[in-house]
Amino acid sequence: MQRLPRTLRRAGHKMDQNVWIKAFDTAVDAAMVWLTDHGGAVFDFARAVLEGAFDGLLAGLMFLPFWAVALALGLLAARSLGWKFGAAAAAGMALCQAIGLWPETIETLCLVIISVLLAVLVGVPVGVLSGYSPRLTKALDPVLDLIQTLPPYIYLLPAIAFLGYGPATAIVATFIVAAPPVIRLSALGFRQTPVEFIELGEATGAKPLDAFLKIRVPFALPSVMAGINQSLMMAFGMVVIAGIVGSGGLGETIYGAIRKLDIALSVNAAIAIVVLTIILDRISQSIGPQSTDRTGDKP
Amino acid sequence: MTSPQTPLIECRNVWKVFGARSAEAIAAIRQNGLGKREVLNDYNCVVGVHDASFTVGKGEIFCIMGLSGSGKSTLIRLLNRLIDPSLGEVLVKGRAINGLAKQDLRDLRAHTIGMVFQNVALIPTRTVLENAAFGLEVQGVAPAERRRIATDALTRVGLADWVQRYPRELSGGMQQRVGLARAIAADPEIILMDEPFSALDPLIRRQLQDEFRQLTKSLGKSAVFITHDLDEAIRIGDRIAIMKDGAMVQTGTAEDIVMNPADQYVADFVAGISRIHLVKAASVVMPVADFHAAPVADLARTGLDADIDALIHLVLASPHQAVAVAEGDTLRGVVTARTLLEGLKGDAAPAAHAAASGA
Repeated sequence: MQRLPRTLRRAGHKMDQNVWIKAFDTAVDAAMVWLTDHGGAVFDFARAVLEGAFDGLLAGLMFLPFWAVALALGLLAARSLGWKFGAAAAAGMALCQAIGLWPETIETLCLVIISVLLAVLVGVPVGVLSGYSPRLTKALDPVLDLIQTLPPYIYLLPAIAFLGYGPATAIVATFIVAAPPVIRLSALGFRQTPVEFIELGEATGAKPLDAFLKIRVPFALPSVMAGINQSLMMAFGMVVIAGIVGSGGLGETIYGAIRKLDIALSVNAAIAIVVLTIILDRISQSIGPQSTDRTGDKP
Repeated sequence: MTSPQTPLIECRNVWKVFGARSAEAIAAIRQNGLGKREVLNDYNCVVGVHDASFTVGKGEIFCIMGLSGSGKSTLIRLLNRLIDPSLGEVLVKGRAINGLAKQDLRDLRAHTIGMVFQNVALIPTRTVLENAAFGLEVQGVAPAERRRIATDALTRVGLADWVQRYPRELSGGMQQRVGLARAIAADPEIILMDEPFSALDPLIRRQLQDEFRQLTKSLGKSAVFITHDLDEAIRIGDRIAIMKDGAMVQTGTAEDIVMNPADQYVADFVAGISRIHLVKAASVVMPVADFHAAPVADLARTGLDADIDALIHLVLASPHQAVAVAEGDTLRGVVTARTLLEGLKGDAAPAAHAAASGA
């Protein structure tokens, strides 16, 4: 408002431009206000659902003693990655307890799990459709490009406007960042079914659903799993940033440590993040169709 | 050679034109009878199949031979409507498949026409058995039943010990046998073979060719077999069609094509082919009147379809180096060492070729 008289004194087109931008900003603000006014119930509901899921999962994991969770993660890792990595994973989780950041570590784990789950629930179906429809891919690509180019903490702003301060905002912002890789790589997986296999489905008289489940899915699965893994990695990056909006977890610990210049605490939190990221990264990479990649290991 | 009595497949003046303006091109073809070149020049459309007409009889193996780009892969895909023809009609068992509803088309593909692909297309995450049972699985055959049928089919192609392996553990030849087993497991009347053996090494290829022919005949199936290898076509086919630029240049038995090529293109093709196994007494006889070396009554007799081995044997055994050819009691002519050599040389083939390939 104060800038307007000054711009009025400038050249005509410059003024036009500023009036334009001003109008755009006003429109965006108005839209936000309109949405919060009219969509209030929807956002409240979304917030309740997300926080309910988060609180439920958190309560469940915190109900267990730390060693039980560490052991469970260790066993899960050991199952697909061997006992060495399993032991290291369990030890890493125990380390998070030892440095006094157990609740924060579990909160971060819960945030990541719920965000990635959402990203998969939305991303895989959208990816499948996009894999079948070049037109949808064409429409989606600029949107995904935009999401992936903007600095990720941008998404905290609208999220906080609609959902307020807390884990729900963190989950939505993380979901926005985590969804594009699942969508892109799922679409790629389904688009890349070799043409002779598509012909195989047609030539054997397979119904569309059979052709999808028995031919498209097996070929797309490695790509979809890679997408989920990527999404997990993006989510870990984002949940830390989401510490600013009171997400809880290690992100908030780091944000607090930065404000107090508590280097030791921020290093500890960073260690916990790294431990958690490595464990989930490796586990998620090991799930999925391995049999196609291994060669010559059968008698 | 089995002569076709009831055509299983009938193609009537089938065209396939690819390109953005294919509809206009087709209209022009229909009205003005444009050729392939005019279509390309005037409409920028590529003619995949150019007015193909043929029939495939029951129990017949029909080979379509052509170089890459001749339209043979397009043509075979018209037969189970993986590709829709631009013009013309394809009839399977007397029924036009162009107008079939989706479910009818699926039934046709599931039960009547099987297909084997050049690159086999075995699903890597499935075992050999699961791959062979794929067609039955999508037809909804119960698991135990489809395992039994697929095991049976795999046994027929000599892979009984490999059912639980994965495709990547098999050699190329074995993988192609799985492809064949998958096709016959569904018990179709017609098997479409899209260059199935072209990626295999020569020894395995020859072995599979013989096995395929034997298997198809013993099961009483019909087959349309695509190949770019004339030797393969001659080995396998009851009848052969030569394709060039989307059109069928000549259709006939191996003997017809090698002995009487329809044009220079076919002649060039068959020039390198060994005639030895195609020579029958009927194609190398000389009139009885021209034979003066000895009274014809002194010669041994043989039938019109005696093959080269038998003829050589008889000619060598004869003191007059000749053998009489008869059909029933009627004398048809005489085969001598000279007529044999002339027959092997042929009209179209230079002597050097015949000698080289006969070695």
